Amino acid sequence: MTLVDFANLLVAAVLLAGIYAVMSVGMTVIYGVMKIVNLAHAGFMMLGAYFAMELFERLHLDPIVAALAVFPIMAIVGIAVYYLLVRWLPQSDKPTLPSLLLMFGLWLVLQNLGYVIWGNEDRSIFTPRTFDVIHAGPIILPTIRVYVFAAGAGCVLLLEALLNWTWFGRALRALVQNRYAGQIVGVDDQKIASLTFGLGIGFAGLAGALLASLYSFNPDFGRPFLIRAFVIIVLGGLESVSGVAIGALVLALVESFAIIWLPAGYQLAVSFGLLVVVLIVLPGGIASLIGRVRRLA
Amino acid sequence: MTGARLRIFLPPIALLGVLLLLPAFGIQPNAVRLLFVTFVWMTASIAWNLLGGFAGQVSFGFAVFYGVGAYAAAILIDGGRLNPYLALVAAGMTAAIASVLIGLPTFRLRGPYFAIATIGVSETVRVVATNLEFTGGASGYRITEPRPFNQAEHYYTALIVAALAFAVSLFISRHKFGLGLIAINQDEDAAADTGVNPFVYKLKAHAVAAFLTGVAGGVFARYAAFIHPNGVFGFPISVQILLMPVIGGLGTVWGPVIGGVVIGVIEEEIVAYFPQVHLLIYGLLLIVIVLFEPGGILGAIRRLQRWVRRIRDRQAGKRTADARSKKPDEVLWGAGSGPGR
Amino acid sequence: MLEVRNLTKFFGGLAAVRDVSFEVRRGQIFGFIGPNGAGKTTLFNMIAGTYKPTSGQVLSCGRNITGYPSFRLVHEGIARTHQVVRPFRAMTVLDNVRVGAHFGRQGGDHKSAADRAMDALREVGLHHLTDSSAHVLSVGNQKKLEVARALATDPELLLCDEICGGLTRAETDAMLDLLRQIRDRGTTIMYVEHDVRAITAVCDRILVLNYGKKLSEGTPNEIQLDPAVIEAYLGAAPKGWNGKEVSEGTPEKVQNDPADIETYPGASAPRAKTGTDDE
Repeated sequence: MTLVDFANLLVAAVLLAGIYAVMSVGMTVIYGVMKIVNLAHAGFMMLGAYFAMELFERLHLDPIVAALAVFPIMAIVGIAVYYLLVRWLPQSDKPTLPSLLLMFGLWLVLQNLGYVIWGNEDRSIFTPRTFDVIHAGPIILPTIRVYVFAAGAGCVLLLEALLNWTWFGRALRALVQNRYAGQIVGVDDQKIASLTFGLGIGFAGLAGALLASLYSFNPDFGRPFLIRAFVIIVLGGLESVSGVAIGALVLALVESFAIIWLPAGYQLAVSFGLLVVVLIVLPGGIASLIGRVRRLA
Repeated sequence: MTGARLRIFLPPIALLGVLLLLPAFGIQPNAVRLLFVTFVWMTASIAWNLLGGFAGQVSFGFAVFYGVGAYAAAILIDGGRLNPYLALVAAGMTAAIASVLIGLPTFRLRGPYFAIATIGVSETVRVVATNLEFTGGASGYRITEPRPFNQAEHYYTALIVAALAFAVSLFISRHKFGLGLIAINQDEDAAADTGVNPFVYKLKAHAVAAFLTGVAGGVFARYAAFIHPNGVFGFPISVQILLMPVIGGLGTVWGPVIGGVVIGVIEEEIVAYFPQVHLLIYGLLLIVIVLFEPGGILGAIRRLQRWVRRIRDRQAGKRTADARSKKPDEVLWGAGSGPGR
Repeated sequence: MLEVRNLTKFFGGLAAVRDVSFEVRRGQIFGFIGPNGAGKTTLFNMIAGTYKPTSGQVLSCGRNITGYPSFRLVHEGIARTHQVVRPFRAMTVLDNVRVGAHFGRQGGDHKSAADRAMDALREVGLHHLTDSSAHVLSVGNQKKLEVARALATDPELLLCDEICGGLTRAETDAMLDLLRQIRDRGTTIMYVEHDVRAITAVCDRILVLNYGKKLSEGTPNEIQLDPAVIEAYLGAAPKGWNGKEVSEGTPEKVQNDPADIETYPGASAPRAKTGTDDE
């Protein structure tokens, strides 16, 4: 492998990490506030992809603009789902079996609604720019990936700003810390939870819509990504946006460089293998490693 | 005491007797096939319930054991020319070994994290199986047996396997092993503080469940005579196996049996009429059960019984008062009679 | 019986417990007290296997059991109760205790374990409620259930974490009587309690913690007269408060009132057996 190959792989991995961060961050916020592991995440990603396709085909929106437009639509879907279903779950400060099964049932429903509405053939979004590349010295960048990365990273940074500098963000973080204490100090947790759920689903939809510009998709779209999102969350330690970003980067790097030795069909096996390694070596995720290093230093 | 035992053991034995005699009355081959499929599903359902219902560890990855069992049986019968029944036992053992390999890392995760990890395992195994040589890859594997096809033999095999699974489930529910699993389900830390080793117990339950599921997969493979990775390792298999106990009644002995019957019998109909959307219907069913009747069909029946009893009590108001005043005595009597469960 | 050597626990850079050593002798009720945040619960959890100590050792009858998971401790004859009760909610009272009998030190088959479970229930006085669901019991009875479940594992050493927290005064008295009765039939008890009155009433020996360190150790009378202890409770108590253990126990007014301690039943009658040991 030459240095240029290496640099190309590295850049590709970073671009991939951007989209991985978008798809994982939605799961993290919902988990943080509601302690619900959103198994339906993949279903919402699939919906986002199809919505982007519809906006692109019917309204001739640029795919990236379409993806950004999908965000508010999916957020509203998320809030509706919250009031229709999630609200009725027994509240808990740790993940429960009913919440898991409910979200799983919802995933099945979404996925198969997808089959009913859009059929089971593979779809994709092609624009004249799809195969454009940017030459940055010896490094070759597919243009669309750069745009996807920019849109995704921009939204994650916006989320970080929202969490840090707004009242909603502070209320949300209070509930992440302790749901009951949040209630005591007068945070309307129903409202915050519904908005959080909308936010999480919005990010799921955005991730799906952005991925739709890169890969073909069908109603079963998203399942491998659900597992990747989970690996990332475990890697990142389930706590923060920055943890998710680090986890996404690690997974993207491992996957990108594994291609050198393994056929592409095994990519998912690689991410799962990484999960196993992390669970055995680092039960607390990367955060615990950083903590351990810091303590030694 | 004997009366209580009779109530527990008589119904399954009577049911088994009826089912054993059924083919002798010359029922339609199609009905026999339907019952065969139901028994195979029921076995997997009972197996899943050991881990998911008793111990509370939801797995979305039982297709792995079903598939491993199916392939192990297929390869041993077709390639190894092994006696089919020995091959079924070997299929179960292979699945059990697989379950230990999977459980060692994944049981470090708790509850929902374990559940998601099993999706990962299941996907990985499917991908690997599709790319392997000896599974026949994506094109599948054909099983040829020297003996001619005999539907009754398959019927009895599946029935006996399901009956064994039920016996295992009943035994576990009434002994120390089941008590430990339920304790883990209720509160894993408190169980450990009371002397239960949660990790080992989960591994054991996983292995027993995998064995039974593997045998079920083998029974199915022999009958179908053709299997392919996307079929037996497919996610829909995992979904269906999980759904049966949830529909019937999680963590009960009879729940997975009822769920197995429901899915085994109605699946045919649903798939025939709505080929695309049967998972949609399953999803809706799951949502309805979680939100309205977490106890499944068995829970609904019990609720109905309570409701009927309450109405009957209200009609005979005075008798109710008598019954209420008797209650403390009953409790005391129960205490005196030793292990009354 | 139980020996703790230089036990230390850091959370991040903060020492919750630092270099604590003591020995619990057979047949004692050994108590920990200390102001809020003094490290009682951390120390307890290290002995009970919930936390792994950063350094130091825990020895049971000379065997090193440091960092053992709790189920192994149970098999070594060390059982615990929980500060916030943790019954197996959907099980009956009897089944809760049967878990302890089946999986405890003796383990064993169906029948004899069920008998031992009944014995434990009789001992704590819950034998009339065997068939009720655990979650419908009153708080007092759930605490008793915790004790019964631990006793059913046949422990040599019973670790009690705030067993009287949230109980009424009458219930507390009954619980303390139960602890004495358990000790008298030969089970050693290690007892952490927020309520100083309760602990001085029942303990044979008390360890006082402050800021994660051992401040004093002795009989209830000795520690009540120790100037360092008085200083910690009267003089420096507000500093000991670090705001972390908001959920713990009862108001502390009573702690400052020695008269109250004197009047507490049993306080002035330390057991004659104190100090005798077979180890």
